[in-house]
Order: sequence, then structure tokens, then C-alpha cells
Amino acid sequence: MKILVADDAEVVRLLIGRFVESLGHEVVTAKDGVEAIEMYQQCQPDMILMDMLMPRMDGPESAREIKALSTQRWIPIVLVTAVGEEARLADAIELGADDYLLKPVNYRILEAKIKAIQRTVDLNRKVREQSLKLAEYYDHAEEEKRVARHLMEQLVNRERLSDPQLQYWIAPAESLSGDLIASARTPGGVLHLMLADGIGHGLTAALNVLPLTQPFYAMTERGFEMHDVLIEMCRKVRQVLPTGRFVALAFVAVNFASRHIEVWNGGIPDLHLVGEGGSVLKTWRSMHLPLGILPAAQLDVTTERHVFTSRSTLLVCSDGLIEARNPAGQSYGAPRLIATCGTSAPGEAINALIADLEVFLENEACHDDVSVAVVDIDPHLPELKRSVTPSAPFPGGLSDLDGEARWRYLLRLGAEELRYVHTVPLLMSLVSEIKPLAQAHGDLFLILTELFVNALDHGVLKLNSSLKEKGADVEAYLLERSLRLAALTSGHIEIELSGYDLGGRSMLRLRVSDSGDGFDVGSLKPYNESESGTRGIAVVRALCALVQHNASGNSVEAYYIPRLP
Amino acid sequence: MTASVEINGITGSIVLTGQFDFSAHRDFRQACDEILADANVQEVLVNFNAVDYLDSSALGMLLLLKEKAASGGKSLALVNCRDTVRQVLEIACFGKIFSIR
Repeated sequence: MKILVADDAEVVRLLIGRFVESLGHEVVTAKDGVEAIEMYQQCQPDMILMDMLMPRMDGPESAREIKALSTQRWIPIVLVTAVGEEARLADAIELGADDYLLKPVNYRILEAKIKAIQRTVDLNRKVREQSLKLAEYYDHAEEEKRVARHLMEQLVNRERLSDPQLQYWIAPAESLSGDLIASARTPGGVLHLMLADGIGHGLTAALNVLPLTQPFYAMTERGFEMHDVLIEMCRKVRQVLPTGRFVALAFVAVNFASRHIEVWNGGIPDLHLVGEGGSVLKTWRSMHLPLGILPAAQLDVTTERHVFTSRSTLLVCSDGLIEARNPAGQSYGAPRLIATCGTSAPGEAINALIADLEVFLENEACHDDVSVAVVDIDPHLPELKRSVTPSAPFPGGLSDLDGEARWRYLLRLGAEELRYVHTVPLLMSLVSEIKPLAQAHGDLFLILTELFVNALDHGVLKLNSSLKEKGADVEAYLLERSLRLAALTSGHIEIELSGYDLGGRSMLRLRVSDSGDGFDVGSLKPYNESESGTRGIAVVRALCALVQHNASGNSVEAYYIPRLP
Repeated sequence: MTASVEINGITGSIVLTGQFDFSAHRDFRQACDEILADANVQEVLVNFNAVDYLDSSALGMLLLLKEKAASGGKSLALVNCRDTVRQVLEIACFGKIFSIR
């Protein structure tokens, strides 16, 4: 230690100084109170031995000033005093001195006191170091959180959440949310929505849900169906999360054209479809384990479908909302959520909910992340009008095609491949590589899906199309379809895409042939705009410049000219 | 939240009281380690009788215990789950992978 000895008697400074040096400490000296303050500032000693009575400024006053100067660290001051000065000594200790030593100085006691003070100084230094480290750690953590928050925001993709039918709200319990809401449309206009809730809250919870975003957006964009996206998300989560970590997830697909909602719920509180007036039309309970617990091969991708007929509101929320507690210890609960959102006008539900929750909580903070998504389910959306702007008829005849195709792609799938190849997404990834077609993503998805599904369902699987008509049981149709597909042993589908130059504009020729018996080509009806919701071959006819079936009806050629931007 | 261990022959119970959430992490892990280290124990029971709430991090801890118990060749059951606890376990569909009594 560096010890400052302040005494007006040179002999005392010398004696105490020598002794302190003999103990292995460094000594600095001062001959009065004023010089003690100067030496303190100049040398930053670890301890001060101070005489009571000194010229210019006495010991207690000097000690008081030094204490006032040392706000950042503790500087122990021991007053050296003669017998009979006890009254002033008590005042001095109250004003800041730490201990005292009686004159004449007993060196054995001085040594013990220095050792005791050394222990306290060491302890003090350790505490200071730790608190500095803590402060550094805190800054570091804050910076990491800032970066993580930025990453989250980028990955979650706010713009894509701006769907006209969707409203959402996320209120993190800490600066980062372990809840995630993502939504995107498939090329066919189906709304995919997911609400994920990672274990806990804060950074680790946020990290848990991040792996979901990439497969969700990438696969939805390419037209994969929800069960394919789910399997991929499950694989991702299993790949990156340690045991004991999982993500509760609700995945919703809303098809506004065929008017049905499909839900997979693993660990999220009940989803509700609420009609006008607040009546509950449908509830989707959690039927599955959260993602990350079972390997992808054991994942049950069974979904629950619901056909909607009237204007209604779909509510999805994390348990943080249902369990939000007010000061009286009551939780917010599903009934209040349904009542609040169900009785507000479409588009107002989220604001009504936020306001109501605030009233309910009475300034109490939520202990968990809160997230809610509200989908305005409107069966009368003019959804198809956007994509089906009938194309201009084919200019001239097929003989106008000047010569060779610029490019050609042929895909032939046998029974085995038809079972597992994701044909439409595969073709969509090709389409998005071809510059003139990339803009026409939505149209081409509709055309490809329709022609491929027709060839597979009616051509190869020989399903009767009357099973699909209005009022028919969609569930039964899909079940029959999957049974026949699983049992398929023969048959094939051939898809050929080729690009032509048509007087300076590009044109896509698409041929789909199947091994089936074909159908009565004369029975086709033209596309009727008022019958929105009709997908069918009529939509393909409207989108394409020309659609030609062969005489037996098992091969179709469609000519598509991308619209000018 | 407290987690205490009761061993009765081949059955070892972890008796929990209070709120089972992340703050219980250390206590719960210690109780698990103690029970799993006992070679005589063949059946591990987690007793929820005095638990009034559990959150998702508690579910994570149960999954960890399940894995450890399985690798030690011990069976595991969640017992005496009352309303709130049962509800949380049901939403997470934990009945599919845990024996809940």
C-alpha cells in the first residue's frame, strides 16, 4: 500500500515512516493538513495516518476535506491522537475519519491496524472491480440486444406483414420478444400466417423462433403447402435448438378463393373464429406438441379445416395475453378477448383489444410476451379479379410462332415421383429464373397448379370432378385423393415449358399431358367473372391467350403472354 | 418455488411447491440430479400438488428431465396436476410424451 503520514513533528514522520516502510509499504509525508490534501491529490495513497493537531489545518478538518474529494473510492483515514482529545475525536470520526490510534504509538497495534485496513481496502477494490465489470457487461449486453433487435426486425420482415386482411400486435416483456408473427401470401393468394412462442422471453427466446422465418417465407413464396412448410420448420428447429427448448406454433392458411381456413396448432392457446356479434363459430384447440420436441419424421401434420360463409374474425394469440394478470390477480382470459374483438368493426379489433387490455391491467406490466394476430375473414373479397385480367386473344394463329423455341424444359414424372415431388414449387423456381416470366409469378402459379392438379387428380388418379363441386365434402375428396395417390403404381405426367419470341414479346407455351383417359372437351364452359371463387380450367382460359386440348382430352396446351408492366 | 426430494424404495418423488418457472431452474436441477443419481430409484414422479402455475421454461425443464431419466433407464410420470397446471400441459399436448396422472 501507499501510506500518507501527516504530522507536523519531523521526528514522528520519520519514526512512523521508517516503521511503515519496514512493513513493506511505500510512504509519503505531509507536515500539515493543507499539505496532506495536496499530497492526497498528487499521490493517491491507499491510506492516511493523520495527526490531530497540526498548523494551518488540523487533522479532523483535513480528513473531512479529503473524504469530500474521494467520491469514487474509499480512502481510510486513521487519526493519531493524544489522551484527552476524545471529545474532538468522536466528532472527527463522525465527520469521516475511520479509526484512531493513541499516542505514544504502539507499533504492534499500528501494524495490526494497517493489516486490518489492508483487508478492507482489498475487499473494496474487489467490489469496485466487479461493479466496473458489471457495468461493462451491462453495456455489452445492451449492445448485443440492440443488434439482435435489428436482426429480428429485418428477418421478421415488417412490410410483408402489411396484408390488407391482417392486423397484429406484439408487446415484448423484455426488450426482445420471444413471440413471432409472420405472414405471407402464396403465389396463388393463400394467406399463410404463423404465430410462434419460444420458451421464456428476451434474447434466448427470440433466438429460438428465428429459424422459423426462413423456411416460412421462402417456401410460402414458392407455393409450398402448409404441411410441407411445417415439416421443414420442424427440421430446422430440431437442427438448431438444444433439448429442452421448443417453439409453440400456430400455422394458419386462409384461402379466400375457396373460402376455407386450415389450422395446425401445436401448443398455442385456442384459436377462435368469431362471427359478427361475437359468437364463436369455430375453435381450434392445440392438437400437437410444440415444434422441436419430436423429430421431423414423427411430426403429425394433420390440420383442421373450416369452410367459412360469412364475415368473421380469426383470433390467434400467445398465452402471454390469456394469462396477463391485473393487480387483483385475475387473468385476461379468452372470453374477454373474444368479446372485445368480436364486437368491434373489422379492422378495429386490434386497437380495441390494446385499449381494453390497458384498462384491464391497470398499469400492471405483462410478465410474458404478448402477441395477437387478427385476420378479417371476408368471403366476398374480390380476390380473383386481381389476378384474372383476361388476356388478349392470341394474335393470329400458331403459325405466327417464328421458328424454334428460345428455351425448353421437359419434366416427366412417373407414379413414384408423383407421390413425393413438389411439382408446382419446383416449376415455380424455374419460372422465377426466367426474366420475362418472373413478373407473372401469380398468374403462372394459378395456371401451373390448375393444369397439373387436373392431370393428376382426374387424369392419373381418375377422381371424378363432381366430388369437388360446390357443396361437396372437401375433406372426403382430399382423403380419397391421398389414398389413391399412396396406392398409385402406374401412370405418368409430362410437363413441357418452352419460351418463344412473338414479335418482340415473349410467350410461354405450356403443355401438360397425362396417362389418363382424358375427358369430353366439348363440356368446357367459358370463364364467368361473376362466379368468383371458380378456379378451374376457366380461369386458365381467361389468363392465357389460347388454351387447346387434344381430341381425347389428356393433353392440354396453354399459351401465356406476360402482361407488359 | 421449492423442490424437495422424497425417496421411497424404488420410487423417487420431486415435490414442487409454488410457481414453477425459470427461477426454479437451479433447485429443480439439483433435485433431479439427486434423484437420478440414486441407483435404486426406478420410477421418478414429479409431484405438482402444491404448484399453482407453470410456464414454458418449466416445460423445457421437464423435457430435460425426461431425456435424463430415459438415458438412466428410469420411468417418469407427472402426478397430482391441478387445474392450471393441467391446462398448460394440455395446451402443449404433453400428454403425448409424458405419463400424466
